[in-house]
Amino acid sequence: MSRGFSHVEDLKGVPRGPRSDAVLSRVLSACGDSILNVSRRGTTIRVALKAECFRKAVESIYSEHDLYFRTMAASDERLKDGVYKLYYVLGIDGEGTNVVLEVPAPEGVEISTVSDLFRASDWYELEAKDLFGINFSGRSLRRLVLPEDWPENLYPLRKDISADEIKSLYQPQMISQIAELGVEEVVRVPIGPYHPALHEPEYFELYVRGEKVVDARYVGFMVHRGIEKLAESMKYDQVPFLAERICGICGFVHSTSYVQAVEEALGIEVPERAQFVRSIVLEVERLHSHLLWIGVALHLLGYDTGFMHAWRIREKIMVLAELLTGSRKTYGINLVGGVKKDVNQDKVPKVREVLEQLKKEFSEFVGIAISVPQVMARLRGTGLLPRGEARAYALVGPTVRGSGLARDVRKDYTYAAYHYVSFKVPVYSEGDNLARTLVRVDEVFESISIIEQLLDMLPGGSVMAEGWETQPMKLGIGAVEAPRGEVIHVVVTGDYSPYRWRVRAPTYQNLQAVPTMLRGVDLADAPLTIASIDPCFSCTDRALIINLRSGSVKAVPIEVISRRGVRSG
Amino acid sequence: MVKFLKIFSVSAREGTVTRKYPFESPLVTPEFRGRIDIDPVKCVGCGACTRICPTKTLTLSYEGDEAVLKYFIGRCIFCGMCAYVCPQNAITITKDFELASYNLSDLYDEVVHRTVRCSICGKPFTTAKLVREVETRINGGDVEELLNICPECRRRLTVRRIGSRVVGTGGE
Repeated sequence: MSRGFSHVEDLKGVPRGPRSDAVLSRVLSACGDSILNVSRRGTTIRVALKAECFRKAVESIYSEHDLYFRTMAASDERLKDGVYKLYYVLGIDGEGTNVVLEVPAPEGVEISTVSDLFRASDWYELEAKDLFGINFSGRSLRRLVLPEDWPENLYPLRKDISADEIKSLYQPQMISQIAELGVEEVVRVPIGPYHPALHEPEYFELYVRGEKVVDARYVGFMVHRGIEKLAESMKYDQVPFLAERICGICGFVHSTSYVQAVEEALGIEVPERAQFVRSIVLEVERLHSHLLWIGVALHLLGYDTGFMHAWRIREKIMVLAELLTGSRKTYGINLVGGVKKDVNQDKVPKVREVLEQLKKEFSEFVGIAISVPQVMARLRGTGLLPRGEARAYALVGPTVRGSGLARDVRKDYTYAAYHYVSFKVPVYSEGDNLARTLVRVDEVFESISIIEQLLDMLPGGSVMAEGWETQPMKLGIGAVEAPRGEVIHVVVTGDYSPYRWRVRAPTYQNLQAVPTMLRGVDLADAPLTIASIDPCFSCTDRALIINLRSGSVKAVPIEVISRRGVRSG
Repeated sequence: MVKFLKIFSVSAREGTVTRKYPFESPLVTPEFRGRIDIDPVKCVGCGACTRICPTKTLTLSYEGDEAVLKYFIGRCIFCGMCAYVCPQNAITITKDFELASYNLSDLYDEVVHRTVRCSICGKPFTTAKLVREVETRINGGDVEELLNICPECRRRLTVRRIGSRVVGTGGE
């Protein structure tokens, strides 16, 4: 830093922590003249550097113990700067700062992969290749997001191709195959490739030897529908409603992440009361989500009585959510600059009453459910995820907290009204399914206490900022601790709509570690192990079992494996 | 050791928690957001709701001398943004959620407005009620004559006036 970078000047006088200083100076000394620009806004340090130096920069910092790979957003900025851009968002947990490495990628230039350094960046690179056609050198590239019959050289998120053109260029192969059969008046009935009765289209291939899982492969993105492209044609205040529909369980975290990213990019001051309302609703959502998960986990273990009771208790939270927001799910109250529905004072006693009841019923219920000997036996010691692996994959949420790392966005990168309340971040170090379950059980009680504290302190005033103006090409990062872990949205602003909106759900990060967790478990424990990261598909779906000894392949519903194992399944 | 048997006492205490809907009343809180209701008297056809609607449930189309505000329940996500932005408070959110029907036309609601024609080019350009609403809001003033002129003709007129002022020749 002493080498006289004139563009580092604007960092003076801004409060910084020692950790981000150290990381920044390592990058600066590794890259020297290849640094294009350094700037800082709020808690984000943005370092623009030339593509040829990018790998060197990452090599200089990747082993920092408290630095982790949060997300990467590719963006087509050829209209403005003539290049694609990659924004690598690295977080420093202990300090709550983000270091954003901004790498310009001119058309046709290969970017060095960093997926061997940041293992979590594997999917992000594949996605940038699929959607933007950005090439990465030093690794094998395969299709991740787009279907296998997608045309070559059609990159849907590029700015020079419209959604209508994409629709005319891509027809799923199935249609042409049916046409070849000579069937007239084809009726499209979209079933599968997975069973319609089970919940969401994700797909695991488990490789087994006898009853033991040897390896696992995941195929996903079956329902990648291009909402990021869609948002580019929607107004700022319409996108929260789209964002909320990303997840059927924890939608509010997505709309909150999105509005926070826009608010950060445009420097919008959100009134305190709105921040409180957001936090309250976020915690209500966590309560219902954790109760849902506990129910589903017990269901997968065959303890359906527990499942029913968990959901009976959860129902009171759903009604409470409707009372607070107007809807049981997809609350629809987030807008850029605040919320559109206040928590009226006359609702407060009702909320307290429900929470009080929940606390009693839930602790009674958990005591009973955990004492079922079979439940305990199947949770303890299964689906092991060592702390080192959890760190290497940059995992998030209860998954990482069950492996001994206290990573929690609410504490590390505090947002909304969380800095006003005191709460514990439950951490268990065993790394098994039991640890991840207990993290969630403890979090239910913490969430109740957070809501109670927020209600005590609820400030007065408005819940909506007094109007705001857009500015193009500003970068904003919004992160929220969802029930499943960190949700992070990156927004590059445009004139009337987001220019680029990158969504990263917690499951995107956590799924990459599932094969590690599955290796060596009994097949019967695989469904719960997959479910233990609380993937955004509540119950996963059916699995394909390939027996290495007999070479047989069969597909069975996941619940059947869970109860009977492979022989009778 | 047999603690888990306690679940029976919990079950006995809680009893049946589901309701025999539709024979019993549904569980809907006073805050519930259901379908919207547009008051045709209050609505002036400004189209603010159609511009904010995230799913394009509300559309405003000009058909001859009529402007039609259409609400298609099939697309509605019940977010309530239309009611939030409506400057006339013409939209209310009801608690009605029993919307299934055998008849597609039951899912449509329409408010029809009469349009005004531009006093220069004669094209219909906005609703008569909106012109009247603007008139009362600006309360007279020297722009009143522009009210019945469509935006395109208004632009031309303004340019011509500025031009004549600069060049100094009167008339158009």
